[in-house]
Amino acid sequence: MNNVIECNNLTHYYGKKRVYENLNFHVSEGSILGLLGKNGTGKTTTINILNGFLQPRNGECLIFGENTQHLSPRTKARIGFLIEGHIQYSFMNIRQIEKFYSGFYPNWKPAPFWELMSKLNVTPTQKISTMSCGQRSQVALGLILAQDPDLLILDDFSMGLDPGYRRLFIDYLREYAKAENKTVFTTSHIIQDMERLIDDLLIIDFDGVLAQTSVNEFMGSFKRFDFVLKNDKTDLKKALFVENLDKVKNKVELYTYSSESIVKKYLDDNNIIVSNFAQVKMGLEDAFIGLTGKY
Amino acid sequence: MMWKSIVYKEWLKIRWFLIGYTLLGILGIGYLFLTVKHGFAFSGGKNIWNSILFMGHQFFSPLKYVPLLGGLTIAIAQYFPETVNKRIKLTFHLPLRENKALLMMHAFGAVSLLLSFLVFFGMFTGFSLLYFPVQMVTDSIISIFPWFLAGFSAYFLVALIVLEPAWKFRLFYSLVGGFFLTIYLNSPVTGAYDPANSGLFVLTAFLSIALLFSAYRFRKGEM
Amino acid sequence: MEKISRYLLVFIAILTLAIILPKLYWMAFEKPVRKPFILYSCINDDFMIHRISEKTWEDTQGKQYTREEYEQKLPMMFEKQLITSGSMPDSIKGIALDMRTISKAKSFFRLKASEIDAPVPGLYPLFESQSGRAKLDLPEDFFRITWRIDFIEAATNKVLEEKSQLFSAALFQNGFSFPAIKISGISTPRKSADEGYFIVDSKDQLFHLKMIKGNPYVKKIEVPEGLKFRHISCVDFKNKDFYAYLFSDKNVIYILTQDDYQLIKWPVEGFDASNCDLKIFGDLFNYTVVVEAEDHIKAIALNPDYQVVKTYTETWKLKEELTEGKIFALLFPAQVSMTSDNSKFIRFYFSLSEGFNWIFLNILLMAFHFLWLFRRKVKVKNHLTDLGIVAICGIFGFIAIHFFPNKFFD
Repeated sequence: MNNVIECNNLTHYYGKKRVYENLNFHVSEGSILGLLGKNGTGKTTTINILNGFLQPRNGECLIFGENTQHLSPRTKARIGFLIEGHIQYSFMNIRQIEKFYSGFYPNWKPAPFWELMSKLNVTPTQKISTMSCGQRSQVALGLILAQDPDLLILDDFSMGLDPGYRRLFIDYLREYAKAENKTVFTTSHIIQDMERLIDDLLIIDFDGVLAQTSVNEFMGSFKRFDFVLKNDKTDLKKALFVENLDKVKNKVELYTYSSESIVKKYLDDNNIIVSNFAQVKMGLEDAFIGLTGKY
Repeated sequence: MMWKSIVYKEWLKIRWFLIGYTLLGILGIGYLFLTVKHGFAFSGGKNIWNSILFMGHQFFSPLKYVPLLGGLTIAIAQYFPETVNKRIKLTFHLPLRENKALLMMHAFGAVSLLLSFLVFFGMFTGFSLLYFPVQMVTDSIISIFPWFLAGFSAYFLVALIVLEPAWKFRLFYSLVGGFFLTIYLNSPVTGAYDPANSGLFVLTAFLSIALLFSAYRFRKGEM
Repeated sequence: MEKISRYLLVFIAILTLAIILPKLYWMAFEKPVRKPFILYSCINDDFMIHRISEKTWEDTQGKQYTREEYEQKLPMMFEKQLITSGSMPDSIKGIALDMRTISKAKSFFRLKASEIDAPVPGLYPLFESQSGRAKLDLPEDFFRITWRIDFIEAATNKVLEEKSQLFSAALFQNGFSFPAIKISGISTPRKSADEGYFIVDSKDQLFHLKMIKGNPYVKKIEVPEGLKFRHISCVDFKNKDFYAYLFSDKNVIYILTQDDYQLIKWPVEGFDASNCDLKIFGDLFNYTVVVEAEDHIKAIALNPDYQVVKTYTETWKLKEELTEGKIFALLFPAQVSMTSDNSKFIRFYFSLSEGFNWIFLNILLMAFHFLWLFRRKVKVKNHLTDLGIVAICGIFGFIAIHFFPNKFFD
């Protein structure tokens, strides 16, 4: 499959503060990928580089094979971009904004825009600045759908949305992307939402990429085991299979890609006596916190 | 099609400011010549002429900051909304070259300002010619010309400053820009700007693409 | 495009800084030059020098006087004070003095360089010279001289065709070559009498134009071959000796005698109309001509036959030669000003600093910038133009390139 986005050896600093070094990832055609990471790990930096609003110190990002620092108008027309906070020209009303954007895109499809707008309780002459956050998100989404791009880049689409609008946004987006074979690159700080939307995930941390895989594979292989140690001084961090460990006195939450039998064998081999050993089922959010830690 | 859309967006932003400013300017110039008419009726034409020719009276001096105000107004109306929430990103994401998009926006703003100024200029010249001979009108035009250039410069400089991403540099640009504008606004005798006007025109033209610099810095993620 | 816009901005910044920084510097550090007040004494046959700020009165030998003594040495200037204090002599050099004679001979004239290099009005009122009235009235119309002479009525802004044709014909018949390149007269009605205008035509011929009982009076004045006038200042002195001071393009001062139109050259040297101010005090015994330049003052006393009796020169250091001026020349390679003391026009007055001491600061700043680049590990190759700008424009260039930083990516 072709890679729509390809980022190679991306390195960036703000002054002397490192954001990341040699970050590599790619997004293949037709997939919906979520970029997950805690605050400050460089999600927004990555989005900015992808859209050509930031020159990385090193490395490059390619979209449809073009360096994102010099995207040609043709390629830009193939990318739909949702700015964090659903920013649009709020001094326009929906009729004006549709008219404005239609001039730029030869493949402009007003139907999905108006379909989405008809679901909102807004008048055609109402300025976007007077709309609620949820309504604004639908306007921004509607414009992207009308643009009919091949790649959608959505920066924190859930920001400011109540659960109803979030659900509406996600369901509409996923249905659309799948039906039209669109590629989606998205970030969100509400990971519950992502579970309904994305196929693939890319988890970055302060040290770089922690995981890039499909959601199913990740959820199938990443496990949490809870148990109680007899001796609360026991140190388990040396074990190679441990991805993360959350220990409060003698109660342990252990996160690993390894199977139950390997964990148990390790405990036996090292004469670590535990009780109440159990695997705990996780949602994506639990798994994300398990992998990246709470801090 | 694209330039139509850009013009449409810029027009939506500045229309009320441009119309309001132009109307106020027309009223202002109307009032100015009402005072001239009043002066002719009450002091007599020869005394008005005499005070203009030999006593340094500048009947047009109330216009001094009118073009500057226009440049500031249109620039703020046009570029301030673009920087709230970094909305200019939307423009850069449009399927055309970033500099081309900016220059189209800028050209529209400058032409709008020019049209407004032409209305003022036409009114001023027309009314002046009713009351004064060509020599006096020419000298007046030499004196007000740099004020109009200052209006354009203010427009160009505000665009530069507003689009700059870093506050420190906004301050630097404002310092240079503010002092630069003073060279158009000396208060000399009527006609004194004659040898300087062509040079000032060139300098003003130099500033017309200044915004590309700060917009570039914005695009490259300067903070 | 971005790079071009940056260089243009850097240029604007350099120009702005070259205007503002020197201006601020001189505002902070310039000390005023207090020029002495010099008059020729018919009693001492020497110049009397009054230093206003020091409150001293002296002659050219340095002998000090009290204020009263000083005034007594200048009875033509302070005649009212001397009469009040009862110390006015009855006669000087055998000439009996009375107030009328003294006051009739007194004249004062002052001309600044900035009055010569200044915009001209282009329209002038032509008074009726023999109206038979005690006071002059400002006429209803004003004239201009282009391809002909036009009289334009102010109330209607219309050309008075008949009058224009009449005067144009008179000028033409006297050999006037249109248009006029210089028109000078006294435009205010507050003068003792009207003597019309002195006009230089396009062939550098000098004419006298007056209106007498509604009719034109035109007189072509004989002037030496090749003489070109830079400026003409009409005067209205009580003794009616002459119409005007005239200044040639070679900085020679002439007077034009009244009625017989004699052009008399004054033996005054050292006057330059482009940068000197001129003061001429006339009295019964002498003319004191004072030429004030930037770094010196020269006084020349003439007798009533316009011959030099005595000259006196005093010089002082230019501000550029003082410590603050030397520091200035170290800091700033040049200065640009929009205004000038010697002109009323707005121009880009560019002046290079004295000497080349500023090169040291330029090199220092260039080295500093080089280090700055080096520490940031940027390719110096991309910054050669900037370094060149600092080398030439010094502190202005240095500030400009840092205000508009050279940060471009490939």
